[in-house]
Amino acid sequence: MVHVSEVSKIYKGHVVLNNIDLTIEDKSFVILTGRSGGGKTTLLSVIGGLTKPDKGSVIIDDVDIWQLSEPALAELRNRKLGFVFQFPSLLPTLNLLDNVLLPIALGGRTPCIEDKEYAESLLEMVNLSDTLHLYPSQISGGQQRRVAIARSLINHPSIILTDEPTGDLDERTEAEIMHLFHTVNEDGKTVIMVTHALDYLKYGQAFTLKNGRISSYDAQEVSANSVSL
Amino acid sequence: MRHILFLVKQHFKRKKFRTCVLLCSIIVACATLFLALVLSRGIQSTIATTQERLGADIVVVPRDARIEAQAALISGDPTSFYMPASIEEKVGNVPGVQQTCTQVYLRSLDSPCCIAPIAMVGFDPAKDFTIVPWVLKQLRNPLRENMIIIGAKVISAVVGTPTKAIGQRLNFMGKPFTVATILEPTGLGADYTVFLPMDTAYRLTQNTPLYPTPVKKDQISTVLVKVAKGANPETVAQDIQRTVPDVATFTVSQLAKSVGQHLQSLVHALMIAGSVFCVLAILLSGTLFSLSVRQRMREFGLFRAMGANRGFISRLIVLESAIIAGLGGLAGVGAGIGITWLCEDAILETIGNLYTWPSNAYFAIVGAVIVATSLATGILGGGIPARRILKYDPYEAIRQGNT
Repeated sequence: MVHVSEVSKIYKGHVVLNNIDLTIEDKSFVILTGRSGGGKTTLLSVIGGLTKPDKGSVIIDDVDIWQLSEPALAELRNRKLGFVFQFPSLLPTLNLLDNVLLPIALGGRTPCIEDKEYAESLLEMVNLSDTLHLYPSQISGGQQRRVAIARSLINHPSIILTDEPTGDLDERTEAEIMHLFHTVNEDGKTVIMVTHALDYLKYGQAFTLKNGRISSYDAQEVSANSVSL
Repeated sequence: MRHILFLVKQHFKRKKFRTCVLLCSIIVACATLFLALVLSRGIQSTIATTQERLGADIVVVPRDARIEAQAALISGDPTSFYMPASIEEKVGNVPGVQQTCTQVYLRSLDSPCCIAPIAMVGFDPAKDFTIVPWVLKQLRNPLRENMIIIGAKVISAVVGTPTKAIGQRLNFMGKPFTVATILEPTGLGADYTVFLPMDTAYRLTQNTPLYPTPVKKDQISTVLVKVAKGANPETVAQDIQRTVPDVATFTVSQLAKSVGQHLQSLVHALMIAGSVFCVLAILLSGTLFSLSVRQRMREFGLFRAMGANRGFISRLIVLESAIIAGLGGLAGVGAGIGITWLCEDAILETIGNLYTWPSNAYFAIVGAVIVATSLATGILGGGIPARRILKYDPYEAIRQGNT
């Protein structure tokens, strides 16, 4: 379980997060939406241990992550969390298999045969089993995103955090990627996603962030306030 | 460590051009610094040993041959100048003079005998205190008439191969000679000089087109003077010049100073060039290391998002820069050694015959210091920007890296 309590963050005098309280149950699919600049990405990165809040706490599985030392927090990110970003995040000099195995090396371990087999199975899961030894430049943006999803799962994390994973993809690829996240969630992972793709609200619980405050998603209100899609 | 090395290798593969530019600039700087230190050390030690090696305190020459005589002693230029042999006795009577000996210079040497100019100097084996003490241990028997003592570089100048060849027969002025022994290198003109008994030298000038007027037995070129203990060579030299007519004198310290003046500007130029290259390389590598780290902020932010801690990123950055700087330093020193080896003749031609190479130990120490300095520069060059970017939260690093 993720428990966000009274989290505030101020950037250059601007309140980005204002006393956010949020509880995310295990194995849930949470969508954070809202206008640009509303604080969605900041909240995601605070939950993911990437941005230190000015105030408040984030408790993951009974551990206040912002009370951890830097190496312990890094280990938590490595073992319990998986990230998928909107922008290309694969290492161009590594083939797809090695890219998927990268978090293992970054955690200070040398991938073993079991890790490699698992990485192959993940690439198979994202329908890229024939491209293990290709390089990122040899595949499409949508395929790269699928590799990033496979990579986020390599250390068996319990939570996947993703920031607008389909922002630059066409509709069909977007649907494929969203379906993948849905599958990941059904496999027992918690998924926390920042997205403007409101067609997929059916997958889980949605929250809106507006002026640094969070509220349950209200379709009518969002529509009235012209959420940018 | 293995996975860090793997990532370092991947980065070099990805940034081949930048890596090559960095490596090349470090190699050039280290090679230049190495050459500057080695050459200037050689020059300085040449200056320092000039006095020690010459063997005499004062050299007395004909008044109008002072410059010629200095050139002959410093660089071994073949030359000839004469004064009456009776000068030796007059010099010997000057207070403060303990011992004298004479030498006669022969102008052999435009003959097609040799690859490089060789001077021939006749000396008196019985009285000499400048050459004989050096070779006393090597010469088991007295120097016979057809035997010569040669400078360290005579063989290579004559036959073109730098071999030591005691007993080898060499022809000078149409006469065959046997090498009795070879002198240790001095860095002075003696290295390119053939020493032979004075009587033989006089005989050589008979019936040769090089000497339409043969050198007579009552002619000498120099009187070499050893001063008495406690006497000041400068004062004794002035006294000789005052009391003996038509002679000029110079002390060995003046000669050393002259050698120094000749080469000191070269030392300065080398050191300035070495320092400038070094500063430029440090600035360039520092800037490139810093730029590279800055450009990769997003990558490092992503690594941290995926679980790398600050120590891992720090080690990764420092290892990259240390590998480049260390390899650059090693290659630079290697290049410096290669250049000194390949261009030895060109260097000697530029600097002159005076040059004495420093010892192998000096080469090793300078090489080690340069590699260590280069390595330290790399560690700092990577470590400082790494420290700076690791202050950012991972998300902030990703965000700033995207802009």
